[in-house]
Amino acid sequence: MGRWFVNRLAWLLLTLLGVTFVTFFVLDRAPVDRAELEAMRATESGSFADAAERAAAIQRLRIRYGMVDPDTLEPAPLWRRYAAWLGNAATLRFAGPSEDHEQLWRRVGQALPVTMLLGGCSLTIALVVGLAGGLWLGRRVGSARERWASAGMLVLLGIPEFLLGSLLLLAFSVVWVQWFPTGGLRSDGAERWTFAAQLADFAWHLALPVMVMAIGPTVMVTRFVRDAVARASGAAFVANLRALGLGRRVVARRLLRHGSTPVATLAGGLLPMLVGGSIVVENMFSLDGLGHLAFEAVRRQDQAMVMVLVLLTSVVTLLALLLSDLLHRLVDPRVRLQV
Amino acid sequence: MVLVAVVFVGLFAPLIANDLPLCARVDGTLVFPAFADLFGDAPPGPHDLTWKQWWSRLDPAGEDWACMPLRPYGPLETDARRFFAPPSWAHPFGNDDTGRDVLARIVHGAGTAIRIGLPAVLVATLLGTLIGAWAGYARGLVDTMVQRLIELFLCFPTMLFLLFSAAFFGNSATGMTIVMAMLFWVSFARIVRGEMLSLRERDFVLVARGLGVPTWRILVFHLLPQLAGQIGVTAAFCMAAAVVAESTLSFLGIGPAADSSWGTMLRQGSEHAAIGAWHLWFFPAAAIVTFVVSCHVLADRLRAH
Repeated sequence: MGRWFVNRLAWLLLTLLGVTFVTFFVLDRAPVDRAELEAMRATESGSFADAAERAAAIQRLRIRYGMVDPDTLEPAPLWRRYAAWLGNAATLRFAGPSEDHEQLWRRVGQALPVTMLLGGCSLTIALVVGLAGGLWLGRRVGSARERWASAGMLVLLGIPEFLLGSLLLLAFSVVWVQWFPTGGLRSDGAERWTFAAQLADFAWHLALPVMVMAIGPTVMVTRFVRDAVARASGAAFVANLRALGLGRRVVARRLLRHGSTPVATLAGGLLPMLVGGSIVVENMFSLDGLGHLAFEAVRRQDQAMVMVLVLLTSVVTLLALLLSDLLHRLVDPRVRLQV
Repeated sequence: MVLVAVVFVGLFAPLIANDLPLCARVDGTLVFPAFADLFGDAPPGPHDLTWKQWWSRLDPAGEDWACMPLRPYGPLETDARRFFAPPSWAHPFGNDDTGRDVLARIVHGAGTAIRIGLPAVLVATLLGTLIGAWAGYARGLVDTMVQRLIELFLCFPTMLFLLFSAAFFGNSATGMTIVMAMLFWVSFARIVRGEMLSLRERDFVLVARGLGVPTWRILVFHLLPQLAGQIGVTAAFCMAAAVVAESTLSFLGIGPAADSSWGTMLRQGSEHAAIGAWHLWFFPAAAIVTFVVSCHVLADRLRAH
């Protein structure tokens, strides 16, 4: 167990190195010169007297951004810049040159709870509804109701998040009925209300975004559980339990245990899906979470923020994978932990 | 069926819906403006007129003639008299806020989706299959390395990465195709590798090897055809994912398909939904759902075989 854990952690770090390097490499390939970009903004505000001064300023910016070697003025090679980033990252200094570290952490810190709230709610719904629905469907595989439900799920799976989001938004907030707010997390002046009223207000604002984010994962979990339960219902032990005269409830509980095995492995894969969903949902419903931060970073060509976000999401995903392996072991004692 | 139709329409969008004639005779010479548009550069109209103006003033008894495409409306062609016009016989999907024909835009949206999605999936299939087959067949160190690489790419935040690369690469469809292929090849490699591990132990492989058949021949002619079904399933899913990713990015206003994409149309359409112009959001939404669901149904059918 201890050995397994150490191995997994080492592999986790190596994967993080890989992910950040690939991202760094791709960002480097982008035909955007940050120094030129910065100089262009300065030129628009008329801060350069002539071309020579502008060229000198660009050179200074390049040195400051670490794009060129300060002594020889040759372009710095990729690996050296990556090493510099890695050195800074090891001490948690992620900010780009035009921002200080505390400011960046404050922005991430403000956005993180919003995304975690959205993701947590969606994941909970996906697991609860998915397990229950999958158990129900799995015991009825082949029946008319199951076939209709499965066809419906196939269609639901075909509706991308942004489409579902805009349709729900149009139907329930704009055109048809105005039941839900179009965006934000709280109403104006909500901080003076009682705690219960604030909580209700919160839930009211979260209803649509969480629904949009939860539907994809819910359908995935349901399908996986349905298949696992259907496989298990054919097993000898189920017939055995029935023959012993045990009630439906007891049998269902045994089946649920079988059905939840694939969920343990699926949990890791759901996270990238939720991250993708949060980008769409947060921009659609104007919530200030990580997805919104990512969108802003992209618009302002903020590469430092991009690296932080990629690092953050891959750390969470990897930890979830680790957790799902442990969970798998917990649910299914036949599984051995191995590297 | 639907898929084949969409792919066909997408590939030849400029020939199906365009304000340029397919073939025309101008002052005695034959020209093919819509075909030129298909390959990237639309020629300017004759006599300082647009093609459409020239066409409408054409003298039926004269020497010159033109053969217009099936939908004689371009995706960018505006019509000031038809702002928000609801669906009619001449315009089955109606017109949008600047009088553009919605059907023509849907056709060109299919073009955008296919032009980005198809090469991405093809490259990913080829790359993933080859790497997966090699790893699964060779075993040993290669297999370990490939397995680690697969795990690395599996925990990549796909949507986040596409968002960044689409933004930093600007309006380059090629850049987006490469990034998508880079993210999708893993699913192929994983499946092919897994299957290959068991296939390579079969007797017929042993026989082939004993007969002195070269390794690449065993791989390409004896083993890969058996995996065609599974590769097809994955390709169908990836195609759906690619189109969804493209339209999501366009919906957010980022990416190469700035103008004629289902995602862009949906965003613009939902902005005008409050004034009752339902056809602006309904048709792009229907196009996306139809395409993605047909991909999933195809995958299900292939799996059942």
